[in-house]
Amino acid sequence: MSRFVERHPAWALISIIAIAVMLWLVFAIWPPGLEEAIGRKRVFLNAVFNGITLGGLYFLVASGFTLIFGLMRNVNLAHGSLYLFGGYVGYAISTATGSWILGFIVAFILTALVGVLLQVIVFRRMEGQDLRQTMVTIGLSIVFADLMLWACGGDFYQIQTPNWLIGPIELPLVTAIKSSGEPVYLRYPMVRLVIFAASVVIGVAMWLALIRTRIGMIVRAGVDDRDILAATGVRIQLVFVAVFAFGAGLAGVAGVVGGTFQSLSPGEDIRFLLASLVVVIVGGMGSIPGAALGALIIGLAEQLGSVYIPTYAIVVTFLIMVLVLAIRPQGLLARR
Amino acid sequence: MSLAHDSRITVRPAALAQRPARIWPEINHPAAWIVAVILLIMPLIANGFFLIEIFASTLILGTMALSLMFLAGYGGMVSLMQLTIAGFSAYMVAVFGVSGNANISLGWPWWLAVPMALALATAFGTLGGALAVRTEGIYTIMITLAIGAAFYYFTNQNWAIFNGHTGINTVATPHFWGVNWRADIPFYYIVLAVAALCYFAVEYLSRAPFGLALQGVRDNPRRMAALGFNVNAHRVAAYAFASFIAALAGVLQVWNYRQISPGSVSVGACIDVLIIAVVGGITRPIGPFIGALIFVLLRTFALDFLVRIGLDGNRFRFLIGLGFLAIVFWSSDGVIGLWQRWRQSRRPAANRPGGGHGHG
Amino acid sequence: MDSVAHRLSAVGAGAALELRGVTRLFGALAALTDVTITVRPGERRAVLGSNGAGKTTLFNCITGDFPPSSGTIRFFGEDVTHFPPYERIRRGLRRTYQISALFPGLTVQDNVYLACRGVSRGRFSFLRPGQNDALMHAADNLVQAVHLSAVKDQRVAELAHGQQRQLEIALALAGAPRFVLFDEPAAGLSPTERAELIEILTSLPAHIGYIIIEHDMDVALRVVESVTMMHNGRVFKEGVPQEIQSDPEVQELYLGGGHE
Repeated sequence: MSRFVERHPAWALISIIAIAVMLWLVFAIWPPGLEEAIGRKRVFLNAVFNGITLGGLYFLVASGFTLIFGLMRNVNLAHGSLYLFGGYVGYAISTATGSWILGFIVAFILTALVGVLLQVIVFRRMEGQDLRQTMVTIGLSIVFADLMLWACGGDFYQIQTPNWLIGPIELPLVTAIKSSGEPVYLRYPMVRLVIFAASVVIGVAMWLALIRTRIGMIVRAGVDDRDILAATGVRIQLVFVAVFAFGAGLAGVAGVVGGTFQSLSPGEDIRFLLASLVVVIVGGMGSIPGAALGALIIGLAEQLGSVYIPTYAIVVTFLIMVLVLAIRPQGLLARR
Repeated sequence: MSLAHDSRITVRPAALAQRPARIWPEINHPAAWIVAVILLIMPLIANGFFLIEIFASTLILGTMALSLMFLAGYGGMVSLMQLTIAGFSAYMVAVFGVSGNANISLGWPWWLAVPMALALATAFGTLGGALAVRTEGIYTIMITLAIGAAFYYFTNQNWAIFNGHTGINTVATPHFWGVNWRADIPFYYIVLAVAALCYFAVEYLSRAPFGLALQGVRDNPRRMAALGFNVNAHRVAAYAFASFIAALAGVLQVWNYRQISPGSVSVGACIDVLIIAVVGGITRPIGPFIGALIFVLLRTFALDFLVRIGLDGNRFRFLIGLGFLAIVFWSSDGVIGLWQRWRQSRRPAANRPGGGHGHG
Repeated sequence: MDSVAHRLSAVGAGAALELRGVTRLFGALAALTDVTITVRPGERRAVLGSNGAGKTTLFNCITGDFPPSSGTIRFFGEDVTHFPPYERIRRGLRRTYQISALFPGLTVQDNVYLACRGVSRGRFSFLRPGQNDALMHAADNLVQAVHLSAVKDQRVAELAHGQQRQLEIALALAGAPRFVLFDEPAAGLSPTERAELIEILTSLPAHIGYIIIEHDMDVALRVVESVTMMHNGRVFKEGVPQEIQSDPEVQELYLGGGHE
C-alpha cells in the first residue's frame, strides 16, 4: 500500500478523495441544497447498498472465473452456464425440501462435479492450448444453454427467501431528519446483507487459504509462473481439478444467490458471464483481491448508474473497463 | 561469402527467373470457375426464397465471418465483436437514412447515409481494436466479447438513438436508375459483388507486405518488433480493415431485413459469427463462406429435419453447439481441413502440396 | 533533419553502443546491476558468464524488449533508452535469439522478406510486390547467402534445426545493420555447422560490430577481439581474450567450475 502511494502519488490522492467523498455522502446528513441537486439521500443510500451487495454477488461469480483463468489460462466462457445451472439446482432443491441452505450445498456439489467432469474429460486433453479450450467452452455454453432451456423452459424462477431472513432491518444510517427533529434510519432487506457478509467471509477465507495453505501456495505459484509448477513435481492435475471444481462450485453458489436476489431465466448466464469478464478485466486476471475490488467498483457503478443516468448505465460500466485498459491494461491489482 | 553486404542494393538476376509473379490470386482451379459461374447464374436456377434466404444470407454472414477470419487467421486475434461492428453500421444506416421511425432517422439519402455508416463503424471497430491490442492473446476474446455485450445492452437501454428493444423498422432501401435494388435479383447481385470484392481483397492482401507482416505478428510478435515493425500499429490497422468489411456486411444486412434491433446484435449472434468462421476454417478466406452456408442451411432446414426424424424441432442451437464442439475437437482447420485430409488420404504422398499455406 | 546531422556527428564521435549504469529489476530481483559497457563501431565482443549472469537480459535491455529500470543506453551517440524496439532496429541495431524466433507459418522466403521489409518503407503496403521489387531481390540474396535457396518455399515449421539457426542469422542481417547482438548462435549446431557459423561471422563487413553470447569458448574466442565477463548481473572483468582466459579469477568462476 505504502509503495503504491510512493509510486503513484496522484492516483493515491484521487482514490483517497473519492473514498472520502463517498464516506461523507453515506454518513453525513445531506444539506437541502444537495438533496435538491441529486435527489433524496434514501435513494442514494439504497443504490449504494444495492451496488455493494451486487458487488458481493459479482465477486462470487468472478472469483471462480479468475482462479480458473489464473491457474490454467482457461477462459471459461461456460462460467455463466455454471452460474445458471447452480441457480436452477438451488431452486429445485429449495422448493422440493423447503431448505434454502440445502439448496446452496447441493448446488455447490453438483456444479463442482460438472467442473470436475469438464476438467477431467475435456480440458486435460488440450492443456496449454488456451484458444482451443476457450472455443470448447463457447461450444459448451451453447449446448448447456439449450439443454437448460429444454429442461426449465423460458420462465422466470425466483428462489424463496427463508422466513428467518425475510423483511428489512434498520441500519444506523440516517437518511433524513423529520420535521419533528426525529432522524429517519435506513431500512434494508436483511437477506442481501447476510449474503453480502457471507461472500465477504468466503472471499477472506479464500484469500487466507491462498496465502497460508500448501495448496494455496501451489496455486499462487502457478498463477505467477506456470513453468514453476511443472518443476516442483506437484501432482498438477489434482490441483487443476480441485481449482476447477471449486471455481465451478462458487459459480453454482452464486447462482443460488442470484436466484434469491433477482431471478433466473435464460440469458442470465450471459449477463453474469459478462459481469465476470468485466470484473476480472478491471480487477486483474488471476487475482482474488482484484476480483473483490473489481466487483465492488462494477456493482456500485451499475447501481448508481441505473439510478442517476438510467439510459446510459451500461456505458458507465463499460467506460470503467476502457479506462482501466487504457491506463493499466493488466488490471488494477494484477501482479504484472 | 559476403552475407550482409548491403543486400538491399546488390541485385543478382539469377534469382529472378524462378519466381512466379505473385500479383493476382491463383484462380486456376477448375472448381473455382464452376462455383463462380453457378453463383453468377444463380437467379436462373433458384427461386426468390433460395436466392435471398439461403444464398444472400450466406454471403452476408460469410462476409462478416470473413472479417473475423482475417483477424484470427492472419493476425491471430480472435475478435468476437465483428458482428457488433456490422450491427453498429446497420444501426447507423437506419439512423442517418430513412426509416419508419421518423423521430430518430435523419432522412439522409442512402448515398450519404451509407458512407457515413461505413466510416463510423470502421472508426468504432478501430477504437475497439486499439483497446483490445493493449493486452495479448486470449484476453482479446474477453475484451471484444465485453465490447459486444456492452453494445447489446446499450442498444436495449437507449431510446434516443437506438430506439430501445424495438429497434428501428422499415428501413428504406435504395431505388435509383429505375431499379428497386432490394428486389430479389438486383439485391442478390449487390450482395454477391460486395462479398466477392471482400473475398478477393482479403485474398490479395494476404500476400501483400501488410498481410505478410500481419502473419508475422501472429507467429511471433516479439521478433516482428525486433525486425523493425510496430506490432501494435499493424494489429490496429488489421482491425480497421476488418471493421470496414464487417461494416459493409452490416449495410447489406439492414437492407436485407429492412430493420435492425438489439436481437440482431446479441451476444449469441456475436458467437454465431465465430462459430461460422471456425466451422468453415479460419486459415483461408473461403472458409467463412462455407461455414456460413452450413449455418444457414441448418438454421433453415434443421427444424423440419429434426421433426422428421422424430425429435424436438427447437433443438437447433443444441445441434449447432455440438457440431461446433466436434469441429473444435477434430479439425483445427474447419471443414476445409477435414475435406483436405480426406483428399490427401485418398492420394497418398503423390502430390502433397508443399507450403500451400495461405494460398486459396 | 537535425537528428540525422546529430547521428552523423555521433558516428564520428565514438561509441557504437554505450551503456551507462543500466539496471533491470524483475520485482525485487535485480537481473542487471549498474552495467556500464562501451563498444566501438566495428568492434566484436563476446559476453561470457554462467547461466543467470544476466547476458540475455542485457540483450533485451539493449533492444528494448524489456526497458531498463534505470540507466541510459546510447546507440551511435543517440539516446535510445526509451525507444520502442522497432525504432532501435530501424537505426541499424539487430539481434538473434537463443531459441529461434521465426515465423513458423510462413515460408523461408517470406521470413526473410519480412526482415527486409521491416527496416524499409512500405511496411503497411496493401500492394503485392511486383516482379522487379528490390526487396524481393534483397531477400533472395540473403536466402542464398545462408545456403537456404533449396528450401526457400518451404514453411519454416518444416525446417531442420540447423537450417532454422541459419535463417535466424539471415533475419538479423537484413537491411543495413550497423550492430548485431548474437544470442548463442551456435546452440545445438553440429561441428560442421559451427565451422560454417564461424565463417559467416568472420566474413561480415568490417563496419558491422557485434556482441556475441556464446558458451562454446572455441567459437567465442575465435570471432571476437574483446571479452566482457558477467557475474550475477554485474560486469565482472573486461579485456582481450587472452587476458580473460588466463585470468585466475575468471578461471575459478567460469572456465574451471562453470560447466559443473
